[in-house]
Amino acid sequence: MTLTGSLDKLGQYILLMRKVITVPQKWGVFFRQLVKEINKLGVDSISIVIIISFFIGAVIVIQIALNISNPLLPRYTVGYTSREIILLEFSSTIMCLILAGKVGSNISSEIGTMRVTEQIDALEIMGVNSANYLILPKMVGLMVFVPVLVVLSMFFGIIGGFGVCYFTDAVPVADFAYGLQSFFNEFYIWYAIMKTIFFAFLISSVAAYYGYFAQGGSLDVGKASTNAVVVTSILILISDLIITDLMMG
Amino acid sequence: MIEVKDLVKAFDGREVLKKISMTFEEGKTNLIIGRSGSGKTVLLKNLVGLMRPTSGQILYDNRDLTQMSTDNMKSLRQEMGMIFQGSALFDAMTVFENVYFPLEMFSTLSKEEKEKRTQFCLDRVNLSDAGHLFPSEISGGMMKRAAIARAIALNPKYLFCDEPNSGLDPQTSLVIDKLIHEITKEYNITTIVNTHDMNSVMNIGEKIFFIKEGNLEWEGDSGSVLLSQNQALNDFVFASDLFKKVKEVEVEEMKENKTKP
Repeated sequence: MTLTGSLDKLGQYILLMRKVITVPQKWGVFFRQLVKEINKLGVDSISIVIIISFFIGAVIVIQIALNISNPLLPRYTVGYTSREIILLEFSSTIMCLILAGKVGSNISSEIGTMRVTEQIDALEIMGVNSANYLILPKMVGLMVFVPVLVVLSMFFGIIGGFGVCYFTDAVPVADFAYGLQSFFNEFYIWYAIMKTIFFAFLISSVAAYYGYFAQGGSLDVGKASTNAVVVTSILILISDLIITDLMMG
Repeated sequence: MIEVKDLVKAFDGREVLKKISMTFEEGKTNLIIGRSGSGKTVLLKNLVGLMRPTSGQILYDNRDLTQMSTDNMKSLRQEMGMIFQGSALFDAMTVFENVYFPLEMFSTLSKEEKEKRTQFCLDRVNLSDAGHLFPSEISGGMMKRAAIARAIALNPKYLFCDEPNSGLDPQTSLVIDKLIHEITKEYNITTIVNTHDMNSVMNIGEKIFFIKEGNLEWEGDSGSVLLSQNQALNDFVFASDLFKKVKEVEVEEMKENKTKP
């Protein structure tokens, strides 16, 4: 991709966001759409978030227990380190990368299909601001619900870790629990939530952008969907680096 | 009435529409015909404002679409209805919700009145019992009828139809043509139909515009299509053997009428 091509896309994205971030034409319709989107994008992701968090939480504890088995390190280090990993990176960044795949492809393919079947043109002909009507509820819905998913992910990640301690002899449960409570900084929770709200904005807006400007047929919608996931994932990783440096550095 | 004056549309310097001027009359079914790639769809998209012309004017009862602000364009669009080639019904909504949608967005009627109006539109296109079905559950002809119901929900002054018969069997095509024609007369709408279908030309073409390579090659009514001496029009209209025969019969009849005392 050339530099001018990238700048073109950036400009197109900013112009689209200008159309999206405006007052809805009908608040009643907007709130109805918002509830639908929260259900579709957020509530429907709860099960996958719980399953992934539980197992990754368990694996994190096993790996840390295996790799830092040193008599000089206290046993509670496993609980402490696992908590920091889950809170700071896994439940926020890695979970958002997973959501970029699930939710991002959903948004992109839905809007892309509406584009190639002229449903977006039909909205425009009626005088509806199609970008605002279709994209804003998705963006707001995901940004509102992602903190819930993050907190759930943190909780079930730690439950997964507890499960390992309870059913194996990797770390005694009491040591793990002591480690979890040691040197706790409440700001880390807020940091994770703030970060994920920004990631939710990226996931929904970038996926919507790729869908909205899809052209051609079903193959092109698939391509737009793949591009949306790839670009969103890269942007999440880059912005994670910047946000971490700004807020924690 | 819609007037098009010296309309030019170019893509990367290549002119697809070349200074086209035409007038679409109120209460009439105006047909745009032409070969694939002749510029019909580009013309229609310019007319409804989905594309911006390179130059020229599009006057909706003396209101120039090309000079309109976004707000004025939005209010003009509430006077338009459009039937897309693939119907473009919203997949996530039932047929009833599809027809109700423009009323919900723009009408000041009460909820009961909007529902009544929706049911009236569905009754008008003979879809009284299909309101609860989703677009994926109905046939192509029913989709087109639902699209017509949605297009007339807000009592439009201008109705645009992009190849309304594509993908339909001849009988269903006749039903759709008849419906479009009746609605045009009933509500005195300025209707513009983009079509390839010669049956439509003969059945409902009150005013016909033939576009060739971005130019307005010919205009007239369905009667004069058969008798036109325009070679390009004849090549297009009488490409099928059936219409060749029709023309031969018509010309024979005319000769006989002339020789009769």
